[in-house]
Amino acid sequence: MPYVELHAHSAFSFLDGASLPDEQVASAVELGYDALALTDHDNLCGAMEHAQAAKALGLRALHGAELTLDDGRHLTLLVEDERGWRNLCRLVTRAHAHTRGDTPAERAGGQPGAGRGPAPGARPGGRTRIASQPHIPLAAVLDHAEGLVCLSGCAIRGVHDEASLKALRSAFTPANLRVELQRPYLRDDRARNRGLAAVARRLELRTVATGNVHAHTRARAPLQDTLVAVRLHATLDASEPERRGNFSHVLASPQAMAARFAADHPDAVAETVRVADRLRFDLCEHHGYRYPGEEDAHADRTLAEVSRVRLHERYADAGAALRSAAEARLEEELRIIAKLRLAGFFLLHRDMLELAREVALEVRGPDTARALLPPGRGRGSSVSSIVCYLTGLSHVDPIANDLFLGRFLNDELTALPDIDLDFPRDVRAALIPRIHERYGHDRSALVAAFPTYRARGAIRELGKALGLPPGEIERVARGSEGWSARDVAHDVAAALGPERLATGRWAWLARLAEQAHGLPRHLSQHPGGMIVATRPLIDCCPIVPAAMEGRQMVQWDKDSCADAGFLKIDLLGLGMLSAVERAVEDIARLRGERIDLSRIPYDDAPTYKAIQNAETTGVFQIESRAQMSSLLRTRPETLQDITIQVAIVRPGPIQGGAVNPYIERRQRLRVDPDFEIPYEHPSLVEPLRETLGTIIFQDQVIEVAMAFAGFSAGEAEGLRRAMSRKRSEAAIEAHHRKFIAGAVATHGVEPELAERIFDKVRGFSGFGFPKAHGAAFGLLAYQSTWLRVHYAPEFLCALLNEQPMGFYPPDALVHDAQRRGIAVLAPDVNASEVECSVESVGDGRVGSGSARVRIGLGYVRGVQARDAQALVEARRAGGPFRDLGDLAARAGAGRPALELLAWAGACDALSDPAHPRRIALWRLGAAVPARRLPGGHTQLALGLELPGAPELRELGAWEGMLADYETTGLTAAAHPLALLRAGLARAAVTSRDLATIGHGAQVRVGGLVVARQRPGTASGVVFMLLEDEHGTINLIVPPKLYERSRLTIRTAPLVLAVGRLERHPAAGGGINVLVERIEPLETADASRAEVREIAPAGDFRAVAPAVMSFGQGRR
Amino acid sequence: MVIPKVTRGGSHRIAAPRRARVLAAAHDGRPSTVDDRTVDAVRESWLVEDRWWNGSPIRRRYWEVVTTCGRDVVVFHDLRDGGWFLQR
Repeated sequence: MPYVELHAHSAFSFLDGASLPDEQVASAVELGYDALALTDHDNLCGAMEHAQAAKALGLRALHGAELTLDDGRHLTLLVEDERGWRNLCRLVTRAHAHTRGDTPAERAGGQPGAGRGPAPGARPGGRTRIASQPHIPLAAVLDHAEGLVCLSGCAIRGVHDEASLKALRSAFTPANLRVELQRPYLRDDRARNRGLAAVARRLELRTVATGNVHAHTRARAPLQDTLVAVRLHATLDASEPERRGNFSHVLASPQAMAARFAADHPDAVAETVRVADRLRFDLCEHHGYRYPGEEDAHADRTLAEVSRVRLHERYADAGAALRSAAEARLEEELRIIAKLRLAGFFLLHRDMLELAREVALEVRGPDTARALLPPGRGRGSSVSSIVCYLTGLSHVDPIANDLFLGRFLNDELTALPDIDLDFPRDVRAALIPRIHERYGHDRSALVAAFPTYRARGAIRELGKALGLPPGEIERVARGSEGWSARDVAHDVAAALGPERLATGRWAWLARLAEQAHGLPRHLSQHPGGMIVATRPLIDCCPIVPAAMEGRQMVQWDKDSCADAGFLKIDLLGLGMLSAVERAVEDIARLRGERIDLSRIPYDDAPTYKAIQNAETTGVFQIESRAQMSSLLRTRPETLQDITIQVAIVRPGPIQGGAVNPYIERRQRLRVDPDFEIPYEHPSLVEPLRETLGTIIFQDQVIEVAMAFAGFSAGEAEGLRRAMSRKRSEAAIEAHHRKFIAGAVATHGVEPELAERIFDKVRGFSGFGFPKAHGAAFGLLAYQSTWLRVHYAPEFLCALLNEQPMGFYPPDALVHDAQRRGIAVLAPDVNASEVECSVESVGDGRVGSGSARVRIGLGYVRGVQARDAQALVEARRAGGPFRDLGDLAARAGAGRPALELLAWAGACDALSDPAHPRRIALWRLGAAVPARRLPGGHTQLALGLELPGAPELRELGAWEGMLADYETTGLTAAAHPLALLRAGLARAAVTSRDLATIGHGAQVRVGGLVVARQRPGTASGVVFMLLEDEHGTINLIVPPKLYERSRLTIRTAPLVLAVGRLERHPAAGGGINVLVERIEPLETADASRAEVREIAPAGDFRAVAPAVMSFGQGRR
Repeated sequence: MVIPKVTRGGSHRIAAPRRARVLAAAHDGRPSTVDDRTVDAVRESWLVEDRWWNGSPIRRRYWEVVTTCGRDVVVFHDLRDGGWFLQR
């Protein structure tokens, strides 16, 4: 082997590398390399992937990084041994320490509506910090030389002056310092390399050749050029001086690299092999990571004692059978835990939950109704463990709920089990910094995530780099399916016509987007994964500050962390938990009722009636369009049914063909209680009994494999894993053969039957919930429905204040509540609080029918929290505002805030009753409001009489509604469809009329789009949910119509659809319209609505609420 | 004919290239004569692969050579159509 590549970048150099580490490794093996280095810019993000990929293919992985010095020059560092790895981690950590130094002043408010960006009611996340570029002083590098080999850096930005090289030589010693020679085929290569070789001779240093690789194959070289342009926010044409100018940065064969340097610097080629031989560090070996408690000798005993004590308390009132089942289960779990030496792992989680309890008490306050609630709840498979239940890590009794343990814990477990905990957002936000404090800032960090290119981002960024027209880029991006960047060709063809793809830049866009698919674009944060360790984490992996103040993260994602054996604890923020707590708090305050959600009745008839009728808008999990249509068919009657319900609308059960058989059998059973469930084999009765012979839960895959194919628990879990995550066909095939052979051997069944069962297992593919997770989520679904049924105003108010969350935009939540008779009132400077609030009427007590929900002042987009706060405080101190002048003088809010409030209608009561909004706006614009002074004081303005407004044109209902949407994202006044109704074609029917129209009739319906979905499991069918002034309408759009009317379907906020009404008996009362024609409902046309002028609020499209659109969340 | 910038950081505005008669070694493309003048030495050699995104992509191997008569000339070999050009 004549040459080893010691300088290579992957896509983890973020916009300066076009290949993934495993692509690079595979190419290197093919080209005949024995070893390959990965030296990304200023990070080690890809190091573990590089190590794992290399190990799998028998290549020796070398590790390093190209660090950026303070003056912008680059140095290449390679890891010789474990000390070197530690030093490199410290250097990279140091290089990033300052990267979140600056905070944008305007984002600091942190209350609803702060800043211009977020949607109305968006929650504060704390201060977010903008990233700057990492760099490090040369002196720091000199201090961390031990165990590292230093190369002088790349051709253009390397360290080439004698003084610096001398300093490096004394720190690294000549044995570990090389002068780096590259041949990028630029005009001055030979002169530069001659000069560098001369410097090396003078300093008695050796030279070494490197390739500065940025792509694993020539086909990716154009993408590398494009990413550089993206990084520079420039076009390819304009970024020419910064690009490499040719494709010599593609990984070349060792022979080709030797040939590049053969004439002038043959020694430098041979030196690559000698340097590589020095580098003996292997990242795949264990490097001393331990989690706290891992080595506690008494952990087994402590855990057993804690659990047994709690078992006696928890099951004190339980029947003897349940209690002895619980005891048996506990002993079994303790045995497995002791065998796997995981007691410390459970104790650590318990410790963390105790910390959460303290934090929750501080956040919630001691005397509140929320204080009754546990600090958080388990989710995922851990809920099946009785140890988790007893140590407080879960709130669902696994014995009473008959939860299967094997998916979480079994004798053959090879990796650490997963414990996921959900917290209300405020508790979680306070908990994370407390964990850093408790376990040490150097010993705890969040897990990273690497967002990859998706279609829309690829179209916009790569399209701009290619110099394509911005207007057309935007059309393609808006019409895009949005998920896979591989289908951009389709998006271009759909938006601009297929002829554009024949040649040129659009063809390049499609090709480059396909290549960029799956490449990491930047470093981001995992939603809640936390790593804790017994020794400084920076010895294992670099730590960088996260965007949120007070948080930091490792440079590895969850897969790399798992490969490193790091213990990851998931602390997730769950909006519904926050909403439920808020509601409980409000109920206690307004009605004097203290609700303990764990003790509410779980057989409440009105709650089940609401669920069965799909009256579930706003509740947890079972509120979506798909869930609602399923609810009408399954009609859940128990918590057990709801557990199945939350798990059923998932790709696993749908693709595994479980949904329809389950629903049909359920419907049959309702009619005929003697109906016998058909099981394909007697051994399947036990595992599949509760789901009527179908596979709905992940754990059933395991149970079926054990009962039917004779798998051990560990083998069955192996099968489940092979089918989830990154699915390897080869691995699944191995399990497949074993499954068939096992079934034949165990039960003597025909291979055809075994194949049929395996097909169901494979169809499920693991994209489903474990039952334990279903039970945990099902419970919250019930609890939230119960609140919605019995405490509707408080529940609505909590949902509005906890946005963004759930399936529906606030506007749809408000309309749904109004249809149920709950009054929702627009913001009012004399009545609103900062947040939305429940107003009681009459005796001050809230009861059904006498409560109203008032939109908060902070809900108005652009009104800063401190302005809303100041206004509310001024009103409390000095009484209601008498008039607009009084408001301007006392409110303590700036003019922009007052104008926004006026435009939102919040000052209507103080204005001219005839057409209040424009006059309020005009007069407040003329007022001189109070000014805030440094130090938090407010200089009040003189309460001058405001000038009267000139003759202003009246604000029409349509314009008022546009202003509502523009300022608050919702309207509490007339529904847009009510305003448009008169202008609609006479034949158009409302959602209310549909109930009385027969199956198969042609109907014409118009509505506001609330959701657009195109599930991967529905072979191209698009589902749309419309809302009009009376309710919602389900549209089904066939694939052909979708292709024809894609832009309308994807982007029009108001549509008019013509189609056939479908009412199937099996749908349980659900009605769909199978669409034949669809068009945007034009609003600018004065004949349709009473519109006199669209300005100043603009077109409806510009202010339409963000809705669930094609799997991208609400947008 | 589009004239590329041939070095990083700066542009060389030069007269349009004209065809040259070049004899080159088969194995590494090194010119031995340029317009009947024998090449004495190669000073530099570089590569330009650019403009791949527009209709006229460029792939050129440049050679800066000194001929036996002492002239410094830059020629490039168009790797797309195989022609040789004199840059100045």
